[in-house]
Amino acid sequence: MRTTLAKLRAPGLYRAGLGFAIGIAFATAITWVVRSSTGHATFHHYLSGDAILTVSLIASPIFFLVGLGGFDYWLYWAAGRPTRPEDHSSHGAHSWKDYFRINTDHKVIGIQYTVTAFFFLLVGGLLAMLMRAQLAQPGAQFVDANTYNGLFSVHASLLIFLFVIPVFAGLANYVLPLMIGAPDMAFPRLNALSYWLLPLAGLMMLSSFLAPGGAFADGWTAYTPLSIDAPIGQDFFSIGVQLAGASSIMTALNFLVTIITMRAPGMSFFRMPLLVWANFATSLLVVIATPFIAASQFFVLLDHALGFNFFNAGKGGDVLMYQHVFWFYSHPAVYIMMLPGFGIISEVIAVKARKPIFGYRMMAFSLLAIVALGFTVWAHHMFTSGMASWIRIPMAITTAIIAVPTGIKIFSWLATLWRGILHLDTPMLFALGFLTTFTLGGISGVMLAMVPFDIHVSASYFIVAHIHYVLFGGSLMTIFAGVYYWFPKMTGRTFDERLGKWHFWTTFVFFNLTFAPMHILGLEGMPRRVATYASKFADLNLFISIASFALGLSTLIFVYNIVTSWRGGPRAAANPWRGLTLEWQVSSPPPIFNFDRVPTVVGGPYEYGVPGAVHGIFAPAPVPATVGGGAPVTTGGGVHAPSE
Amino acid sequence: MEAASVAHAVAHEDHHGPPPAHRSSRVEPQLLGMLLFIISEVMVFGAFFTAYFFIRVAQGDPWPAPGTHLPVIPTLFNTMILVSSSITMHWALRGVQTGNYRALKAGILTTFLMGAAFLFIQINEYANIGFAPQDHAQATIFYSLTGLHGCHVFIGLCLLLFVTIRAFRGHYSPENHRGVEIPGIYWHFVDIMWIIVYTTVYVI
Repeated sequence: MRTTLAKLRAPGLYRAGLGFAIGIAFATAITWVVRSSTGHATFHHYLSGDAILTVSLIASPIFFLVGLGGFDYWLYWAAGRPTRPEDHSSHGAHSWKDYFRINTDHKVIGIQYTVTAFFFLLVGGLLAMLMRAQLAQPGAQFVDANTYNGLFSVHASLLIFLFVIPVFAGLANYVLPLMIGAPDMAFPRLNALSYWLLPLAGLMMLSSFLAPGGAFADGWTAYTPLSIDAPIGQDFFSIGVQLAGASSIMTALNFLVTIITMRAPGMSFFRMPLLVWANFATSLLVVIATPFIAASQFFVLLDHALGFNFFNAGKGGDVLMYQHVFWFYSHPAVYIMMLPGFGIISEVIAVKARKPIFGYRMMAFSLLAIVALGFTVWAHHMFTSGMASWIRIPMAITTAIIAVPTGIKIFSWLATLWRGILHLDTPMLFALGFLTTFTLGGISGVMLAMVPFDIHVSASYFIVAHIHYVLFGGSLMTIFAGVYYWFPKMTGRTFDERLGKWHFWTTFVFFNLTFAPMHILGLEGMPRRVATYASKFADLNLFISIASFALGLSTLIFVYNIVTSWRGGPRAAANPWRGLTLEWQVSSPPPIFNFDRVPTVVGGPYEYGVPGAVHGIFAPAPVPATVGGGAPVTTGGGVHAPSE
Repeated sequence: MEAASVAHAVAHEDHHGPPPAHRSSRVEPQLLGMLLFIISEVMVFGAFFTAYFFIRVAQGDPWPAPGTHLPVIPTLFNTMILVSSSITMHWALRGVQTGNYRALKAGILTTFLMGAAFLFIQINEYANIGFAPQDHAQATIFYSLTGLHGCHVFIGLCLLLFVTIRAFRGHYSPENHRGVEIPGIYWHFVDIMWIIVYTTVYVI
């Protein structure tokens, strides 16, 4: 009994569960108080069960986090009590249980992020398999139309908000402080809190299937007025996006402050690895754009739950306004889902081609150009929405222009590969696969910028093909490249190279077999987001479904490889790829505080093949009396470029 | 911000921990974090102003809605209260910077009370204004913009309350005044935002 009480009082999952229950009780109480004090005058046509559920969706995650201990330090500070100084006892993870606690170590948080995101990748992938099973033949197969709509909506929401965006934040969380020579992120407690918002957001979206009326079923775009009249499942999306968005903003803020204030001496902006540049650019996008989707979902929530009139045309609302506000975030969001991947590819290609990156400064500037231009193209998602038709012209032009900085990056990577000594191992294969498929997706993107063509294929499978070429063939390929590339650093183990190659080739082949035929289906007029289709599309759809199941199975190779290698793979060397950037100059996995001494940066990060080139040095030790100090980092001398 | 913990940390210089990070910028991390957060907050307001723009300008709905009246003059009085609280906030900050702790305590307490008065008057206005957000789109925009700002005043008041508690417990000094300065910046942001909201919603 005493131990149970102690467990309930100490920060952790037990207290978090208690907090969750208190959250529901709090929601019930507050809705009762408000509804009885207003005499139901305003709310009479809303079921009280719905009200309690909606308020619970907001309150219980907050109480859960309080219970988990996410706010402990700040509550002490707020109450004016002495704050307990960070004793760093929570740094590092000693058993798997440590990953289920609030932990302020950026390396632990990075792994928490990455593993959580991959969990949601598998769930989202399973939803896609269900969709393809339904679409294998025309007519109803397994699910009814409404469930199908829920499947693709939750599939997209999970993979966008719980996989692509956070997995990049996770990888960067792990390697970015190491790359700039910092002991941790600028705000470690904020970092922990921003991680723990994610599983809550994901589980909330997923549990919408259990809501009365089914999951939110109007796509991840949740267009009004459809979403205003949707069943209560819509609130699971509106509020889940708030949690994921808040997490995203906190992490971006943390990255920006870390990059600006915590770089190692000598690391000027133009000596930063391009992954750091990419996350700098992405974080700017997140801080500026993400509030817009938060606001758009506040509007939907207020209209949906409280009967506000943002989008009620009968009372003066403006339906189209939703699309403008939504896409003002969600177009920059496609760059939020791509720029960190660009950074990963720059790292992998420079190391694996043993050459300096071509056009380093243009690579950095093109990232910033994408950030700026990314805010000028949002209405190209609305060519058929009924907005003033002249807006389409400037939007088409800016959309075509934004392909230029992206093209600069593609050509710079190709020029980096030119006459390099290519090491075609798993990370490099994924990087080259990315170059191929992402360029194809980029080209169909420029096609879509052309107004007449866009009108022809709007809301067809051509759009589905395009988005999967840039998000699966683009982002996911870079994520796989990054996970394989840093796997030895993050786990201290080596993955199975043979399985890695199998994973790449099955993914690459079945990805193209799945999504390339969708271009044809789209041109022929098969509409997306419909549970069935005309019988003339049957052959290609059966082909796509079979290919997609093979694509799903290929992911199992990855899961098997990662799990077995992590548990019992051969120990990894500190620098298996002979990289120059700072994360490779410490042991694998890195020491608990990254560096015993902050390194000094004396050169560019990509001087591969340049004789005698050095990126970072660890200042000579202050002449210790005994030599056996056992510093885990490379001491003395420089880190020389391995020459070929 | 961590007044009480500083002395403790100094006393344990030998304890094992990370090496101090190299400072690559003259800007304080906390200050930079607050400025970036304010950029994010400005964008939230930006999205709400987009809704305002679409309904009032793009769609051309009459403003205020026919048959309703916005209390411009009483709210001007309320605006003056909030703007003055920025001055008292600055007074408190100057107090702690120069070691004048009486000015700090008086300034921070006055700021808190003025902010609370503003919020009270605003809620009172809601109760007496005669329309509800469910009535029409103009009311929705009115309540959303002023309500969003009201939420920010509330968050600012919470921060000010924490600062007040610590100020009265003597946790700040001329060397250690970030805990007053950074919530102060947020408070100034809330004030400036109100001037914009007041101008667009009530005056124009």
